[in-house]
Amino acid sequence: MGKSAELLQGTLDLLVLRTLECGPLHGVGIADRVEQVSRGVFIVGPGSLFPALHRLAENGWITGEWSETDAKRRVKTYTITASGRSRLAAEKRNWKKVFTAMNRVLAEEV
Amino acid sequence: MLTPGRLHSLWNWLFHRYALETELDAEVKAFYETVVQRNMDRGHSEPEARRLARLQFDSPETAKEQVRDARPGASLSSIARDVRYSWRRISKAPVFALVTVLTLALGIGANATIFSIVSRFVLRAPPVGDPATLMALHTTHHAACCSSFSWPLFSDLEGQAKTFSSMAAYEELVPASMSGAGDPLRVWGQATTANFFDVGQFRMQLGRGFRSDEEHLPVVVLGHALWQQRFAADPLIAGKSILLSGKPFTVVGVAPAGFHGVDQILDAQFWVPLGNLDSSLSSKTANFQSRNNHWLAVIGRLNARSQPAQAAAELDVLAKRISKAHPDADWDDGFSFERAGSLPPRDRSAILLFVSALSLVALMVLGIAGANVANLFLAQAAARQREFAIRLALGATRRHLLHQMLTENIIMALGGGLVGLAFSIWATGALSTFHIPAPVPLDLTISVDSRVVIVSLFLSFATAILFGLIPAWTIVRPIIANGLKGEDQLARPGRFLSLGNILVIAQITLSVVLLCSTGLFLRSLQTASQIEIGFRSSGLLMMAVDPRLHGYSPERTTQFLNQLRERVAALPGVRSATYTDSIPLSGGNRSDGFQIVGQPALSLPSVELYMIGPAYFETIGTALISGHFFPNENPAGPKFAIINQAFAEKLFKNQNPIGQLVSDNGLTFQITGEVKNVKSRFLGEDYRPVLYRSLAQEISRDPSFAGYRIVVQFSNEPAAVAQAVRAEIHSLDPTLSIFDSQTMQEHLRDALFLPRLAGSVFGTFGALGLLLAAVGLYGVMNSWVSRRTHEMGIRLALGAHVAEVQWLIVRRGMLLTLLAIVPGLALAWAVSKLFTSVLYGIQPDDLLTFSVVPVFLASVALFACWIPARRASSVEPLDALRHE
Repeated sequence: MGKSAELLQGTLDLLVLRTLECGPLHGVGIADRVEQVSRGVFIVGPGSLFPALHRLAENGWITGEWSETDAKRRVKTYTITASGRSRLAAEKRNWKKVFTAMNRVLAEEV
Repeated sequence: MLTPGRLHSLWNWLFHRYALETELDAEVKAFYETVVQRNMDRGHSEPEARRLARLQFDSPETAKEQVRDARPGASLSSIARDVRYSWRRISKAPVFALVTVLTLALGIGANATIFSIVSRFVLRAPPVGDPATLMALHTTHHAACCSSFSWPLFSDLEGQAKTFSSMAAYEELVPASMSGAGDPLRVWGQATTANFFDVGQFRMQLGRGFRSDEEHLPVVVLGHALWQQRFAADPLIAGKSILLSGKPFTVVGVAPAGFHGVDQILDAQFWVPLGNLDSSLSSKTANFQSRNNHWLAVIGRLNARSQPAQAAAELDVLAKRISKAHPDADWDDGFSFERAGSLPPRDRSAILLFVSALSLVALMVLGIAGANVANLFLAQAAARQREFAIRLALGATRRHLLHQMLTENIIMALGGGLVGLAFSIWATGALSTFHIPAPVPLDLTISVDSRVVIVSLFLSFATAILFGLIPAWTIVRPIIANGLKGEDQLARPGRFLSLGNILVIAQITLSVVLLCSTGLFLRSLQTASQIEIGFRSSGLLMMAVDPRLHGYSPERTTQFLNQLRERVAALPGVRSATYTDSIPLSGGNRSDGFQIVGQPALSLPSVELYMIGPAYFETIGTALISGHFFPNENPAGPKFAIINQAFAEKLFKNQNPIGQLVSDNGLTFQITGEVKNVKSRFLGEDYRPVLYRSLAQEISRDPSFAGYRIVVQFSNEPAAVAQAVRAEIHSLDPTLSIFDSQTMQEHLRDALFLPRLAGSVFGTFGALGLLLAAVGLYGVMNSWVSRRTHEMGIRLALGAHVAEVQWLIVRRGMLLTLLAIVPGLALAWAVSKLFTSVLYGIQPDDLLTFSVVPVFLASVALFACWIPARRASSVEPLDALRHE
């Protein structure tokens, strides 16, 4: 649940997959990256991030591995899988379609 | 959607929950620690860094809870929790649970029992292959359904109908006697065309049906019950020879259990080929030439390509063609058909009306029970307000509470449903022992089958959920303002029509309907047992034999009966003895139209026919009013007859009938005497005209289809007399089978079948309804009173009299009762109209019933209110004031 903007249903999955496309990250890393890239519009809390990560892992789109950070802290790092990549591609196409359609509809406004 | 991933995760949730939780915990903790570390890196102290992290995000516990909710097992886990919690509550209040389950069980049991009847007689598919295409055909006479076929008519139809791929004909009931091991037995079977088993596609338990070349051979298919009882379920019976009415038949097969022909009520126990009938078993009317002899039932298998509508159209055309070709035949109209094994079309609407009335009444009992359950839950909820308040305060949502209460209801429903089914297994067993007096064998047993189980469980769940949700709805919406004042949060002050009261009014209304029905049927049973039947109701013993099945000629039968009568009359303990073809009140024997000789009439009154032997009227106890018995019983001489009063009134008006001549199809009888009326077919009927003929004179022309009965008037123990009569029969002919041996008291109890059945069913339902409604009223008044103990104390302290306080309570209860009785009586009056045809001797708007029931109900209600009223008025004012 973003505090600055309501996330559209299902878009969190897209955001997480997109973030992991650039390389493996742990939970806080994902949340930070989303906030950064969206310039603070989407702030992802653990309450929505973790269910999303579990859901994606269940579907086999990402995998989690326990590893140690530089600060000697054990964290779970997530990596996107091959099926996750194809899913992301599909989601991107879909999003573009919706995005264009929404823009057209909104532009019609008199 | 269950993907492999979700399955895996469900597997983990089920069996590795601990590992799952540890990992989740570590992950969430790591997240927070990272955030805290970062805050500290920015220069905050550790406590401040933690505080900021919490401000920034939800608490770790909430995050974990959200992950848990998203897991596939989450709903399972909450159900399991609800069940555990409900079970704990139920075991803490076992009495409440027991009362609820029993209340539900009574309602469900009543419905399951009635539905067993519906399932057996209305829903059960006939035991035929592909029931949708097997039709039972009838002939219609002046467009009135349903008559049988003559052989030539059947042959014409079978040869010409193209929409039917095959047709079979059969005589519905053929008696035979079966000797061999044990006493000789009379059994009933059917005589069929050889293709009968192929057309019906009946599965066989053993062996096969008839082959097409066996039309004229002495072969037999045995019924399952007969095979078990008489042949010890011999698995090698196919191919063996057995004796039917003294003639050898080869067994070719055994029908499966529960199969007794296409009809689901007639209880046939053997099948023989029709073509062999006239030479082997003596049949009622076997006649393959006459077009005017309608004696065959017909089934037909619809062609795979034909629709019923096409078949109907074709039969119409064929009917016109056939009747044109045979203008002399007395069949004229057409044909009709319906699915084989469905309810007999003539009685269909009556049966449906009767079972709907029964179902309606059973549902009323369930409604009363359900209202009681709802009130029980309401009363319990009042006691659980604190619990609910605490749980709501701790963050439970209303949905959580509703779920949990529903779980409790469902557990109760399951218990109620199962106990109810146990009740109905017992009740169907008891109902199956009712014996209907009918000259033909009937299978009327009912039992709890899978349909009944499904419907009962469904009903109990529906009841529990419906009546559980009503109170649950109010429970989760407590009035907070009252709660803050420490008062009852569920009471809606100032509202008389509260939920509890409405439920009670509904209950009492329904019980008025039930009680009125009960009253009507009990009155009917009472009047039925007082009906003047016109003959002795006790001290008579009857026993039937059918010498015809043993190859006796009519003359030899008369001789045998006379010999037997003389021997039996000489037995010690026997006052007199006679014989006849049929005992009155057996559901109807033979009848025919009569007219006075020389006075042709357009419509001939239908007259009941009895064949009697010497000393008949003395033995059976019907008084001779005028004239005398037959002067002689010479078979070759002029025929004599004795008539009853109804006959004399109908045909002779005010003339003296003695000596007059009456005729039946050209056969003339001289009337020698007039006797009092008897109830001939049923108890409920008006007296019918009866004509008694001499058995010796009429036996060869019109032999009885159902055997002959020796009737004995005894003075002491019937068992000893029965033993002696049996011995006399067997000393005359040891091979004769004896059947229908019973005393007149037993026979009359059977004749009271309908009023007794209705009386027991409604008596039970009425008592149940009354009990449940009284408990319901008591419960509501009781909880009302306990909520007002405080108020009563104040009233008493301020000087109110005990009687005034009691009146206050009783008045409220009686107001509820009155509000219910008025619509109840109206409803009952409407419902009772349905019963007109099954009431004996009273009208459905019987004044006595409709005036006694409200008074009775009001007194029960008064008692139910008086108990709490007495308790309330015995409150010590001081105690009540210190109540808080």
